[in-house]
Amino acid sequence: MKETFASTITQAKNTYQTRVHSLGVFGILLAFVVICAALALTTPRFLTVSNLTIILTQVSINALLAFGVTFVIITGGIDLSLGSMVAVTGVSAALFAHPDTYPLMVPLGIALAAGVAMGGFNGLVITKSKVPPFIVTLGTMTIGRGLALILSKGRPISNLSDAFNFMGGGQVFGIPFPIVILVVIFALCSILLRKTIWGRYMYAVGGNEQAARASGISVAKVKMLVYALSGALAALAGIVLTSRITTGQPNAGQGFELDAIAAAIIGGTSTSGGSGTMTGTLIGALLIGVISNGLDLLNVTSYYQEVVMGVIIIGAVVLDGLNRKG
Amino acid sequence: MKFFLPAFILVAALISCNPSNDNAKGDKPLIGVSMLSMQNEFIVSVSDEMEKKAEAAGAELIVVDAERSALKQIEQVESFIAQGVDAIIMNPCEVEASSPAVTKALAAGIPIINVNSATATKPTAFVGSDDVESGRIAMEYIAKRLDGKGNVIMIHGYMGQAAQIQREQGAREVLKKYPGLKLLAHQTGEWDRAKSMSLMENWIQSYGNKINAVFAQNDEMGMGAVKALEAAGMKSKVVVVSIDAIPDALQAVKKGTLDATVFQNAAQQGSQAIETTLKIVNKQPYKKEVLIPFQLVTMENVAEFKK
Amino acid sequence: MESMSSNPILLVKSLSKSFGGIKALDEVQFVLHRGEVHALMGENGAGKSTLMKILMGLENADSGEIIFAGEPWESRDVRDSLARGISMIHQELLVVPELSVAENIFLGRENTRWLPGWLDDQSIYLKTKKLLAELGVALDARAKMKYLSVAEIQMVEIAKAISHDAQVIIMDEPTSALSDKEVAALFRIIKDLKAEGVAIVYISHKMEEIAQIADTVTVLRDGKYVGTKPAAELDQNTLIKMMVGRTIDSLFPEASDQRGEVILSVKNGSTPGKFHNINFDLRAGEVLGLAGLMGAGRTEVARAIFGLDSLAEGEIFIKNKKTTIRSPEEAIRQGIGYVSEDRKGWGCIPGMSVQHTMTLSSLRDYTRGGFIDEKDERAAASRMTKDLRIKTAGLSQPVLQLSGGNQQKVLIGKTLLAEPEIIIFDEPTRGIDIGAKHEIYKLIRQLTAQGIAVLLISSELPEILGLCDRVVVLSQGRQTAVLSGEEISQETIMQHAIQR
Repeated sequence: MKETFASTITQAKNTYQTRVHSLGVFGILLAFVVICAALALTTPRFLTVSNLTIILTQVSINALLAFGVTFVIITGGIDLSLGSMVAVTGVSAALFAHPDTYPLMVPLGIALAAGVAMGGFNGLVITKSKVPPFIVTLGTMTIGRGLALILSKGRPISNLSDAFNFMGGGQVFGIPFPIVILVVIFALCSILLRKTIWGRYMYAVGGNEQAARASGISVAKVKMLVYALSGALAALAGIVLTSRITTGQPNAGQGFELDAIAAAIIGGTSTSGGSGTMTGTLIGALLIGVISNGLDLLNVTSYYQEVVMGVIIIGAVVLDGLNRKG
Repeated sequence: MKFFLPAFILVAALISCNPSNDNAKGDKPLIGVSMLSMQNEFIVSVSDEMEKKAEAAGAELIVVDAERSALKQIEQVESFIAQGVDAIIMNPCEVEASSPAVTKALAAGIPIINVNSATATKPTAFVGSDDVESGRIAMEYIAKRLDGKGNVIMIHGYMGQAAQIQREQGAREVLKKYPGLKLLAHQTGEWDRAKSMSLMENWIQSYGNKINAVFAQNDEMGMGAVKALEAAGMKSKVVVVSIDAIPDALQAVKKGTLDATVFQNAAQQGSQAIETTLKIVNKQPYKKEVLIPFQLVTMENVAEFKK
Repeated sequence: MESMSSNPILLVKSLSKSFGGIKALDEVQFVLHRGEVHALMGENGAGKSTLMKILMGLENADSGEIIFAGEPWESRDVRDSLARGISMIHQELLVVPELSVAENIFLGRENTRWLPGWLDDQSIYLKTKKLLAELGVALDARAKMKYLSVAEIQMVEIAKAISHDAQVIIMDEPTSALSDKEVAALFRIIKDLKAEGVAIVYISHKMEEIAQIADTVTVLRDGKYVGTKPAAELDQNTLIKMMVGRTIDSLFPEASDQRGEVILSVKNGSTPGKFHNINFDLRAGEVLGLAGLMGAGRTEVARAIFGLDSLAEGEIFIKNKKTTIRSPEEAIRQGIGYVSEDRKGWGCIPGMSVQHTMTLSSLRDYTRGGFIDEKDERAAASRMTKDLRIKTAGLSQPVLQLSGGNQQKVLIGKTLLAEPEIIIFDEPTRGIDIGAKHEIYKLIRQLTAQGIAVLLISSELPEILGLCDRVVVLSQGRQTAVLSGEEISQETIMQHAIQR
């Protein structure tokens, strides 16, 4: 009896924590490194500081959205309204960001409030009505698009203040500001997920909602939180995007939700809920960004780009799956 | 128009769903209008102008949004036919796929007028501009600025759409004329500012100072390219030209960040469309093809276009 | 054993199997004869399921020999096993809920006609009807599986096994979710099968059943063969000793007489369609049993007290103060804990570790400003693991990898860490082995000694008899009796449980 037990202990390493937090990410990390190496070998311009900076800047918007949707997917939900929330929040920010009108905090605050309100609305309907998140957020996706058009009267809103344009176009010590936002938000999201009670509850709710409820967790509160977070991060993405293109575009962000969900899933977040990490999602977003940048550098025609992107996404997930099993 | 536009679209869409509309035959001529996309600034301008003109002329419009779907557009035209409108104005989504709508209207004996872009099947009349010409004008300007020698980048719209195909065609005609102009790279920016900004950033990485000029097939993408070039400190060395002359682009031309844009006259397209339609309805003589010319907008003449 | 009738249908000789260095089976032998019911016993982890998996062709042995019907049998897979006539009724029933009874029985062997892939439904329904009639089961062949009770699903699984012309049927804990009446029906079927020469391997933890149905008993312990004996020669203590390797003096520890104040009262509790007019008091330090047949409304009452369902009418008092409990969150705050009967559905979270599962209900106790203090959390989990003697490969091992008994202990630990004053145990020993059972009984005694009140729901009457100070009997959602002291006996409980 004791021998058997001892030998089980030697296997202790190969368990949950290690598997979820390193091995799970390992497959996708490997794919990422391989693709980066391949690009570095084919085009000398890939591995330059300026190109890597650009990749990070380009990735920041998708990564912000992907962090939000990672929370949602961990609880077993989905958020299809991300792209529309980017448009609504971007347009609302732009409306208050003309030069010499309001201080910077006003457009930022309004965009965040709009994002949290929309996300909160998602959460409220999902928890109160028991309608599947897929359907609810599909609805808000359309509502959001309409709201963005109403707010902007169907036209892009330009002429934004320099302070506002700093959010997407400025630099701190030579580092583009979107990268600073990306790093800070990544750290905050990781801490929230790994170190706080709410992160733990998210895993519990996504892993087994009944068991979470029976453990005394307020499932509704957790769900409200993740959808509101998703909205807040979409608002941040909306601010960065609007500031980067110095225009509030009502039709911005179309299809962004799919890229964000792809990043989370490539990063090892299970669509059935209960597992996923921010590190994985970040690598997923970087992978998508690197592929798109690399294919542009190689001047691959857009027709082929789409095919290559799809193949790599499937390949990465398959590789990750094989890694988990073996 | 503040909140009226979406409300109107809603009401119009509801009406269009209801073929047994009592007001279908009033004293005023009733015109059904199906627009490509009410999320596009240019199209919205055309539509606004049509409304204005129709009101002045005492005609009633039912404007619906096809949301870039040819299928939806055909259904909308079918519902117009069922309502017994006097004429239909269509801003086609696609060259081939929107053609059945024309065939159906003609078969029902209802005149159909295409505005802004064409379908394969010939309608009763066409009002718009020749997109090939706009591409030609833009690339000619680049050739002039570069003295016929240099490296050019082209940013496409959605591949396969009429505007993309024709603007590319016009640009390539000019490129052929100037053997000194080399097309360095071309890629789709999907008519989107952010997308084309990323594209430009990546090109700056791979081609750097080799880039002499950029032709973007619409202003949104042109503005994106300008942003990327500005961030890289290269704008002064690269000529950027795009098409449509949206307010943002005009502003940029005035500031000198965008070198030129090509003005497509939305107001003219809208008002001429209504004019031609009313002529047809009132059985007056009309022109089968009304072409509204493009105009190049540069810093010298931008004041004429800025309202 | 060699003295028994010649010609066994199945002969297993010195079979071994390791998983990554752990010997799951170590030179195990097993002899099965036609027409016998052979109980395979042992604690969880003893190697029973590994042996059965090898027999079903789900795993391959590392070494050893299997002789089936006199012939050596190698390179097996599931299809081969089924074709040779070995079927297994799994503990976790594997059915397709949207398909009918007949479609489930013939899943993978559908009859076709006219065109390849064109289903010939008629013939499978006729065959199924005949099968069910032979079994004496009144079931509609066209009924969808999702509308069937657990017992009925089990009957379908047996019908499926018979439809394979099974010569050997393995039953893994077949009665774990059955009522007494259904168990009787199952045993009747087993006897019929036996008479037809079918050999049955019967895996169960329930001693009474073994005495009732088994002819022979083989015991495994820690992957090793302990012995095979005719069931008639075994008494409970010997059997337990063989399984556990030591003597367990008495399954149910003695109770102390300490009774405290009334801590929980339910007055006129009703929820239409579930239970009606329930009244009882629960005192600190006592074990109150909630007995009744399956479907009598016991779990429903417990769920209403714990806030999982809402109580339509009536009142709940905690320490003489009227309270409304709208959610488990509130129940836990009021000092109520609940250990569910359904470990997979309402307890364990896939992928979650022992530590994280255990602290889920009390996580706020180890936080500072919303941040989890990993050290505090680990200390609490590790203390509880030690107190409850939970066998794990470490606190980070996923709960679902543990044996049933240890899973149950983790879930009890989760409840205890929230420091409840009232604990509702709903079928706390379902599907767990005798050693763990005994430990859970001891634990319940320890808890009551500390003044905690326990509400115990159990379908196993010995458990109710051995542990409870008082028993509330339910029948069809109505409270038919409150028994205490001498009144508590198998007969009185059953009498009230079937009372209309």
